[in-house]
Amino acid sequence: MLKTYINSTIFFFKQIRKTIFLNLFNTIITLLIILLISVASIHAFKWLIFKANWKVVISNLPLYAFGSFPPDEQWRPATWIISLLLLSIFTLCGPEWRWLRKNLLIVWLGTIPLGLYLLYGGLGLSPIMSRHWGGLTLTILLTVFSSLLSLPLGIVLALCRQSSLPLTQKVSSIYIDVMRAIPLIAVLFFGQLLIPLFLPLGMEIDRVWRAIFAFTLFVSAYIAEDIRGGLQSIPNTQIEAANSLGLNQYQIIQFILIPQALRIALPALTNQSIGLFQNTSLMAILGLVELLGIGRSILANPEFIGQYIEVYVWLACVYWIVCTIMAVLARHLEKRMTINQANF
Amino acid sequence: MEPIVVAKNLTKSYTKGLRALDNVSLTVDKGKVLVVMGPSGSGKSTLIRTFNGLETFDKGEINILGIKVDSTHDERKIQKIRRRVGMVFQQFNLFPHLSILENITLAPIHVQKRRQIEAEEYGMYLLSQMGIDSHAKKYPIQLSGGEQQRVAIARALALKPELLLFDEPTSALDPERINEVLDAMRTLAEQGMTMIVVTHEIGFAKDVSDQVLFMDSGKVVETSPPNIFFSNARHERSRKFLNQLDKH
Amino acid sequence: MKINQKLFLQFGICIIFFGLIGILINNLTINLIRTGLGFNFSWLFKPASFALAEHPLPYTSSDSYAWALFIGWLNSLKVIVSSLILATFLGTLIGFARTGTNSLLGLISAGYITIIRQTPLLLQLMFWYFVGFLGLKDNMFIQIKNILNISNQGIEFSGLTFSSEFLALLFGLSIFTSAYIAEVIRGGILSVSRGQWEAFRSLGISERKGLTLIILPQALPAIIPGLTSQYLNLAKNSTLAIAVGYSDIYAINDTIINQTGRAIECFIILLISFLLLNLLITNTMEIINRLILKSREYS
Repeated sequence: MLKTYINSTIFFFKQIRKTIFLNLFNTIITLLIILLISVASIHAFKWLIFKANWKVVISNLPLYAFGSFPPDEQWRPATWIISLLLLSIFTLCGPEWRWLRKNLLIVWLGTIPLGLYLLYGGLGLSPIMSRHWGGLTLTILLTVFSSLLSLPLGIVLALCRQSSLPLTQKVSSIYIDVMRAIPLIAVLFFGQLLIPLFLPLGMEIDRVWRAIFAFTLFVSAYIAEDIRGGLQSIPNTQIEAANSLGLNQYQIIQFILIPQALRIALPALTNQSIGLFQNTSLMAILGLVELLGIGRSILANPEFIGQYIEVYVWLACVYWIVCTIMAVLARHLEKRMTINQANF
Repeated sequence: MEPIVVAKNLTKSYTKGLRALDNVSLTVDKGKVLVVMGPSGSGKSTLIRTFNGLETFDKGEINILGIKVDSTHDERKIQKIRRRVGMVFQQFNLFPHLSILENITLAPIHVQKRRQIEAEEYGMYLLSQMGIDSHAKKYPIQLSGGEQQRVAIARALALKPELLLFDEPTSALDPERINEVLDAMRTLAEQGMTMIVVTHEIGFAKDVSDQVLFMDSGKVVETSPPNIFFSNARHERSRKFLNQLDKH
Repeated sequence: MKINQKLFLQFGICIIFFGLIGILINNLTINLIRTGLGFNFSWLFKPASFALAEHPLPYTSSDSYAWALFIGWLNSLKVIVSSLILATFLGTLIGFARTGTNSLLGLISAGYITIIRQTPLLLQLMFWYFVGFLGLKDNMFIQIKNILNISNQGIEFSGLTFSSEFLALLFGLSIFTSAYIAEVIRGGILSVSRGQWEAFRSLGISERKGLTLIILPQALPAIIPGLTSQYLNLAKNSTLAIAVGYSDIYAINDTIINQTGRAIECFIILLISFLLLNLLITNTMEIINRLILKSREYS
């Protein structure tokens, strides 16, 4: 017992020697890194405990979470976020019932009206204007709505680009290529500015919806390319097999091509939604007070002026945690898809 | 005798001068099994694929189950043919994202608009006929090649076809898996299914087929009953081919 | 029959598509007439009457809008090219560290990559600008005999001056992109088969030499397309310059729209600028790719 313990310890140290003290060059690098890390962590620790003033974070927690949503009504965005969280946990770890799996997509789509109802109010809840939406709630809202809207648009664009009709093929190619050539901030800015110009007189949509539309228009071009990649990697024999069973063109698209393309593109698609979550921060410089925007407006408060590091470190942590959760969920979903699926 | 397949003077060229099909004519009667043999590149796969419209042709005419198709390749007529003709491929071509049972019920539900329960019941019956009903909930990747090919046969049978096309159904299988698929095909032939089979399996051709059609460079070299073809083939080219097959 | 059906479908889609565009353009013209702007580019040659802190070519506020836009384009190019070089250098180093034998180094670079990739670029830029440069105490941080001078105004190095806006953008973009480039390099290195590593090791070639002489040349075909797309992303991300007050092409368009209200025209100008930038990057990378392939043929 003791002997095996000693042996394994020796093995462990040998392994360490092999990987970090392999030769002189590596040893020097390793020692330098250890030195650097210790100095950095001592400083970081000192700053975290003694120097940093965390009041700017702690006293503003509701602001970071819900923006300027009236305090009495903050249970509404909280309910929505928690229901989203529960739904994603349920999607990943819930039971394998067939009817349930089939309807899960509908439940996910159902979070849109639920969110709208809880945030806007009406029908028994007091109405709240979208300019009071903010913080993490708004960030998640932008992400979820834009992702869910851009997926179908992206699929349609990808199918059009693959279609044999020259006009649809050309139009969607141009759209996708142009959208992918211009920076997101420009799309968002001009979305705020130009969408009202293209609407009939008297019709108006608020800033949040303009942002969601702009994000959707932008992300769908990227999603379209991911799905096109998936479509192209489906072997032609799949279409032949479906043809020989008498399925028509639309049935082949619906039952054979789209499900397989989505599965192949899944890792790319989840990356897109993580990217989208990060990119919602761009709305901070275009007048929405989502997570980063709230940080900026708190920093503009004379009480907290100059406390950049605290706020930025805190925001970075929040973004990092949510992104990591999304990445873990995505990895889980991909694994689950490949366990029972075939040779992709 | 009621003819199921009649092909007249089928000609197809991929590039100028190179003919995949050169004036091919044949007839298959109801309940008969036609085996198509020939060296690779002889056009036998192209021939069988024209019978359900996966390949077009330049000249000639086919009449499948009374539906006439010519070189204009009328999409509607082909769709009608496909609903009544099943096909089994060399590489199985199962749908990897669907379970075995879903693979089989897809076409009955969406092409023939049958009820799901009905389609599933019949699908399970076909799977048990093929001896693989215990795999119904699995996905294609989890099955061996022989099992996948039997699923593919069940899938082709699910539309209750009047003609079955087999495009080298055993070529992609491990040698020890070939017989399980050939046995399934034998049973089908005994039940009176009309079949056209592209294969190199001499044993199967000898036992099961009613006619053997031998092709080379897109042309039909000879069509004979199996006992004549394998013992005393009329053409020099056929004998040479059979000799080479024997050596392997 | 099939052809007729296709034509019919095509025709239908045509009508819907052009109808939609027609409605949108109709709304647009009504709105433009209402605001009294119309659509033209003659304003481009009027004096811009705004100052630019940074201009590689002479510029005064009496110069035209067109000239201001050109200066912005040059500013964009300057920050893109310099970040591109720095990011490639950093990314390659980190990519090597990530794949190398030293597991401590591998762990650290993995940490670097996850922190950089899982936080928004805009937040990182603001951090570099407000904390990294504007946070420097007073005017003087480091001053070495008038050769190197680092302050909250930027860096002055033997006569060359770099503004803190430019530097914050340069650091932010380079560090952000380097994390992505590191992953591209890692993917490329992993795409070379294990057998190649064993082969050069069995020949007694050192790890570093083997990596640069054997593995990397084989990884390049897998790396170049990934690099190109990262460079294109970098170019697009450089428009976040507006958050730190650097006058790139987007920031100048933004200023002009605020002054003149010419949103549609500016959108078209920005679109063309970026199509040009993209063409420049993809063509350069294409040439590099061809040079690499050519050098193989002769060697």
